[in-house]
Amino acid sequence: MQDDDLDRLLAQAARTAPQPSDALMQRVLADALALQPQAAALRPPAPPARAGLLTRLIGAIGGGPALAGLGTAAVFGIVLGYLSPSTLDLFTGASTDVADFFPDADFLTTEG
Amino acid sequence: MAFDAGGDPSDEALMVLYANGDRHAALALTQRITPRVLAYASRLLSGDRAEAEDVAQETMLRLWKVAPQWRQGETRVTTWSYRVATNLCIDRQRARVRKRLVALDDAPETADAAPRAEDRLQESGRMAALEAALAELPDRQRQAVVLRHLEGMTNPEIAAIMEIGVEAVESLTARGKRALSALLAGRKAALGYEDDGHAG
Repeated sequence: MQDDDLDRLLAQAARTAPQPSDALMQRVLADALALQPQAAALRPPAPPARAGLLTRLIGAIGGGPALAGLGTAAVFGIVLGYLSPSTLDLFTGASTDVADFFPDADFLTTEG
Repeated sequence: MAFDAGGDPSDEALMVLYANGDRHAALALTQRITPRVLAYASRLLSGDRAEAEDVAQETMLRLWKVAPQWRQGETRVTTWSYRVATNLCIDRQRARVRKRLVALDDAPETADAAPRAEDRLQESGRMAALEAALAELPDRQRQAVVLRHLEGMTNPEIAAIMEIGVEAVESLTARGKRALSALLAGRKAALGYEDDGHAG
């Protein structure tokens, strides 16, 4: 057989491909729909939960970082309040003299 | 259909849409892939329509199952489908051979194996003759010839489907065509060709 004849025969066969029956297409489509993943990603997202009172208060002062800074400042203030002035000299590097702001007021506290 | 209004999405895009729950994508993939797989399986299985339909449905079933894990860019949907169909057809051909051997053992007196290509050529038309000749080819040659000349695939596509090199594909198709010519030689009259082969 000549190559041309075989090529013609193959080309003719390519044009006459067997077609699927409607029943097969229905079965395949039924499988497709039965196995199709549910569209979870297409569902509307759940609404965010309503924020509580504490959350809103924290938000009002600037959120977590602001609250942390406020807390640190408060603790540092309490510590400073408890420390004696001489201890503070260790931090400041200076000597603290006790100042007498009202040297003449002693008579107010003395009797007689 | 509104789905088609914006142009035809690729098969790979349809896979993503299908995995996301798009029912139109399920329909589009069914309509695109099923006929091609059926035609291919039918040719590999020597025209056994029932088995070819089983192969097509099974191939598509596996496609639906793999869709959620489908990774775009790795392989084409058609390449994947042809590869799965090829393996399913090979399995069925082997099962058919085993069944035939068992039948021969059980009933040797009435054994009537499938008619040889020559016999079928005499009683069939051109397509049946070609089908019979294709059935005589070794599996790999038949797959390569069918994919190249009947399914219209390129050599690189066939290489991807058969998981071999392009040169091996060229060799298989060339040998397959030579074998087909030999099988069909001398049957020009049955095929309707003139002796000189250049009448047209």
